[in-house]
Amino acid sequence: MSKRTDSPETEQPKESWVARWTTLEDIERTLIDKPSSGFEAWARTTAGVVVMLLTLQVVTGLLLAFYYIPSTESAHTTVAYIEKVVPAGSWIRSLHHYGSQWLTLALVFHLAQMFWRSTYRRRPVGWMASVILLGLILAAGATGYSLPWDARAFFGTRVTEGIAGGLPVVGDAARSWLLGGPEISPITLARFFALHALIIPALILAVLAARLFVFRERGLVSAAEERRLEKWMHRQVMRNAIAAGVVFIALALFSLMYFAPLGPPADTAAPGYLPRPGAQFLWLFQMLKYLPGRAASVIAVALPGAIIFGLAMLPFLKVPLRRVMVHPRRNIGAVLFALGFLLFTGLTIAAYIDDSRNPLTREQFRRQEAEETAFRNAEFTPLRARTSESVSIESRTGGAPMQNDNGKKGGQTSPSPEGSASPVATGNNPGSPPESYITHCSACHGTRGQGAPMFTKLLGVGSKPRRSVEDIIGLLNDPLAYGIEPPMKSYKDKLTESEKREIAEWVASLK
Amino acid sequence: MSDYDSNRNTQPKEVDRGRRAFLLWVPVGIFAGLAATVATAAFRFLRPAKSLQEAAWNDVAPLAELTGEKPIMRSIVAEHHAGWASTLEEHFVYVLPQKGNQVLSSICPHEGCNVAWRAEESQFFCPCHDSYFAADGERMTGPSRRGLDPLPTREKDGVLQVKYQSYLNNTEERIVRG
Repeated sequence: MSKRTDSPETEQPKESWVARWTTLEDIERTLIDKPSSGFEAWARTTAGVVVMLLTLQVVTGLLLAFYYIPSTESAHTTVAYIEKVVPAGSWIRSLHHYGSQWLTLALVFHLAQMFWRSTYRRRPVGWMASVILLGLILAAGATGYSLPWDARAFFGTRVTEGIAGGLPVVGDAARSWLLGGPEISPITLARFFALHALIIPALILAVLAARLFVFRERGLVSAAEERRLEKWMHRQVMRNAIAAGVVFIALALFSLMYFAPLGPPADTAAPGYLPRPGAQFLWLFQMLKYLPGRAASVIAVALPGAIIFGLAMLPFLKVPLRRVMVHPRRNIGAVLFALGFLLFTGLTIAAYIDDSRNPLTREQFRRQEAEETAFRNAEFTPLRARTSESVSIESRTGGAPMQNDNGKKGGQTSPSPEGSASPVATGNNPGSPPESYITHCSACHGTRGQGAPMFTKLLGVGSKPRRSVEDIIGLLNDPLAYGIEPPMKSYKDKLTESEKREIAEWVASLK
Repeated sequence: MSDYDSNRNTQPKEVDRGRRAFLLWVPVGIFAGLAATVATAAFRFLRPAKSLQEAAWNDVAPLAELTGEKPIMRSIVAEHHAGWASTLEEHFVYVLPQKGNQVLSSICPHEGCNVAWRAEESQFFCPCHDSYFAADGERMTGPSRRGLDPLPTREKDGVLQVKYQSYLNNTEERIVRG
């Protein structure tokens, strides 16, 4: 039964462009649930807040990706660059950092609100999508925490690793798959980045797509009902927009006032460093304190997993639960939900209180905070890029020690045999290529024999078989005879014999 | 006949329409404001960095060494700051003792290969696309649209110093990058 046929000719306003050319109205119908008003209608605006915060996470995440490099050498420097140099950088990073915590909270409120209205019974798909989304957002938060590669991130990764490793049976496999090896390494950071920026967002999109485009959760209704629902929907969209706007303004101001934390780099952390997880994981962190070793690991994975799974399966448990929740005992479910909520809040608050009560912890946190402030206020120091070219230059110029952002040595630091301390090299330097090399060879092989993308590097050639000085001269005359194929061409007539010899001698000396 | 029609007829049309427009524009306005805020920040965030850091003076060679007829090639190592990285880059320059120690960049103004001095023809030659330049750097033949680029120089304590700059390639005018 089609909705449009009841009122055919006169009254029905012309089908709008949106209705005719887009599926937006179908999506709107998918989203409509039983209308409500007053407090209940406003409580339901958690949906709009979640959508807004999720979109904001995507947008700010994409922006950060324009500067961030997921390598252990560069990650921390690029994040520091975003924080200290790029205009609006620290605001955008704050939005992303605190936004993820707000989003977690908004999703919890969203689930509470849906539970309270028994939505999971009427809209099982919508309910399950929200539960899975919460799990994915938590996973995104855990993986994202490692990406700045500061001390906090490093220890966060340690804890994640420890929890994964403590799993029964699959512990060791889970740990090494997560880390990409037996210990935290550059591979780990790359994996966390791939999970955080590619895999998890893809899964989130898949869940949203399933929610919006695949499942239809409404029976057919009369045209009058349809009309009424649509009107209500329009008002509800407005409520959602207002709620989302208010939350956005709050988050925007919050992010202006508070920096996203960024400490000194991971490998410079002083002993005694006290890491703390993001606010959305504090309850878990606090709980681990009360549980002994191995059990803690199991519970740290099992509990959130069980909660997420249990909540997701709620629609399928409808027979017994419904019996329990029928009036007048329907409050049992609500009580359980409220207890869980209180437990999480209580644990989170306990974590804060524990830290503020212990004088030793307080002292350590003060030190760390001072460290972070000092690092934040220090001017940005660029990373010394270590191209093969710069390394060879450094070794030539006496390997002047290079300070990068981390305050550790960034370049080749072994003193050069020449012992020249001058940062400036002149053409007389023994390592310099002959003029003829620069003219004829450097365009492809690089000014120091370091090669170029698609072109052979000449460093170390001299130690290979058939590459003596005489061989190189022969090769210049007839590359094919030495197994060298185009684009390398013959220089038989382009170079004089003495030029060939000086090039060959220089190339053979390259290490 | 349906409930829908009767419902609709009981409502004053104008008010209904105005109300609906309002209901539509409030959320649109809110989302537009939200998007504009983020877009402004995104624009500032992504806007390309304004200028390169002022180049430092680099020693080329003691003045006493710079004599003779033909251009002298020297290499300089200049520190280059861009974004979050700082690199040491080696550049080649030609000193023209016959032209008051003018220093020319060896970068061909066409597509940026290194030009070479050909003593037998007393010319600079670019091996990539066959541009030729006179001994004083003036453009002769080939695709390059201008002569070789001179670099700012100064003399300090008997040493010739140069400030390494790079120029936009393939333009007639000389435009410094950054």
